[in-house]
Amino acid sequence: MSPSRVPVATPALEAAGESAGVLRQPALTPEDAARSRDRFRVHNARTDGRRWYLLWLLVGPGILVMLGENDGPSMISYAASGATYGLGFFLPFILITFVMAVVCQEMCMRVGAVTHRGYGQLVLERFGRLWGWFAAGDLVLTNLVTLIAEFVAIRIGLSYFHVGARVAAPLGVLLVVFTLSGGRYWRWERVVLGMAVFNGLFLLAAILSGPRWGTVGHAVISFSPFPGGSFNTLLLLIASTIGATVTPWMIFFQQSASADKGLTPSDLRHGRYDTVAGGVLAALFGCGALIAGAALFGHGGANIQGLAGAGFPGALAHVSGDTVATLFALGLIEAGAVAVLTISASTGYAVGECIGAPHSLNNSARNAVLFYGANVGAALIAAAIVLIPGVPLLSIALNANVLATVLLPVALVFLIMLARDRELMGQWVNSAATDRIAIAIVAFISLCGAAYAIDSFLGAVHLI
Amino acid sequence: MFHGDYDPQTYLEHDQLVADKLRPVPRARLRRGARLGLWALRIFAIVLSAMVIYTFFWQLGH
Repeated sequence: MSPSRVPVATPALEAAGESAGVLRQPALTPEDAARSRDRFRVHNARTDGRRWYLLWLLVGPGILVMLGENDGPSMISYAASGATYGLGFFLPFILITFVMAVVCQEMCMRVGAVTHRGYGQLVLERFGRLWGWFAAGDLVLTNLVTLIAEFVAIRIGLSYFHVGARVAAPLGVLLVVFTLSGGRYWRWERVVLGMAVFNGLFLLAAILSGPRWGTVGHAVISFSPFPGGSFNTLLLLIASTIGATVTPWMIFFQQSASADKGLTPSDLRHGRYDTVAGGVLAALFGCGALIAGAALFGHGGANIQGLAGAGFPGALAHVSGDTVATLFALGLIEAGAVAVLTISASTGYAVGECIGAPHSLNNSARNAVLFYGANVGAALIAAAIVLIPGVPLLSIALNANVLATVLLPVALVFLIMLARDRELMGQWVNSAATDRIAIAIVAFISLCGAAYAIDSFLGAVHLI
Repeated sequence: MFHGDYDPQTYLEHDQLVADKLRPVPRARLRRGARLGLWALRIFAIVLSAMVIYTFFWQLGH
């Protein structure tokens, strides 16, 4: 097989090159050289027929984005659903939301691999600056709110081990700086993947909490018992469960990371394996958090209110024992930490792409000041807010996922438009079936987000 | 790790190079219906975000 250097693939990308009279042998930047080294390994693994090594080289963005979205607020949201309503409805609902996530993230990976451009850059160039900045503005807003919630989750996890917020916040920022210090995408990805493995602690906590597996199986198949209680609370949990699984930052991150990693159309099959594997692992671990939380159902679990007081680790210690509580607390620290890294990275990608500044982890901090600055700056701002006394962290954390759900349809609509753009995607454009499924997902998410937002708003202004 | 004949440029696609990625792709030609749909989507997002943010502050006060 020949090396992967091929002519420009699609009409839009070809036009981008020709309109500017691109030289076909431009000078290589250090970013190109770093990416080329990774592609060299991929080429050799493919040529030598080393399948598992090839898979190892090509996985990353899909698993990272899925386990990154199993973040602190998401796991608390899943556990809150389990503690409030038991295993019923929400266990299979989580599985469905991850199927939706896989459909959306596969499109991100495909668009990134085919165009080699990030989501923010493509929206800006293809649909105009207004839309590009609107999408980036959405992202920065929801990312900041979500990052605050991540630091809260780290704080809750550490507080179980009697470590305070003054340690938790700087630790999170230091972690961001440490992972960014290599100047290589590959190194960053592998370090974060290594950390993300510990998302499995939630599954371990679930197993050790001793659930009745027959009840778990019945809940998955039957969606029952259906949760009772107030309609608004149910809508909040549905909206936040969706917001815990499919979010704007995931779209920015996986497309940009796929381009930054250097994926090409010849890697699409492995990119799909990566995304599906990430979805399966994240669904398993998310269900683990819900099952662990369900141990509190009937033990006052509904009154824990997510992040208040000792929260879940403390409550679990009384019901399921110290081991389960310790695993849950460690899981929260991991979930928050990995999400801080991936969400900060997506902020850096979005800002760099929209401003047109260098935006790659294969670049040094000196060459990509804005990218690295936005990356660390987002984490710094969130950490600083967490340290302010009296800030309503509980409300911020609970509303973060809902806000992400409300803003998600905009990001998804542009993603679908990009993925079905034949001029841009050529032969790798969405199939008719993918189009239909993706449009149905956007309609469902829009409906859920709108229902919660309108119902809560009408309640707040005393109209219902 | 790398062989003597390793040429970095060989292993990247043309449009994968930083120089190529800096060239903007052409604007999409949207039909009137698509443009209207996008405006409706923008209004949807802004109105619902305002509702969520209002509700958030209302909850803080209660």
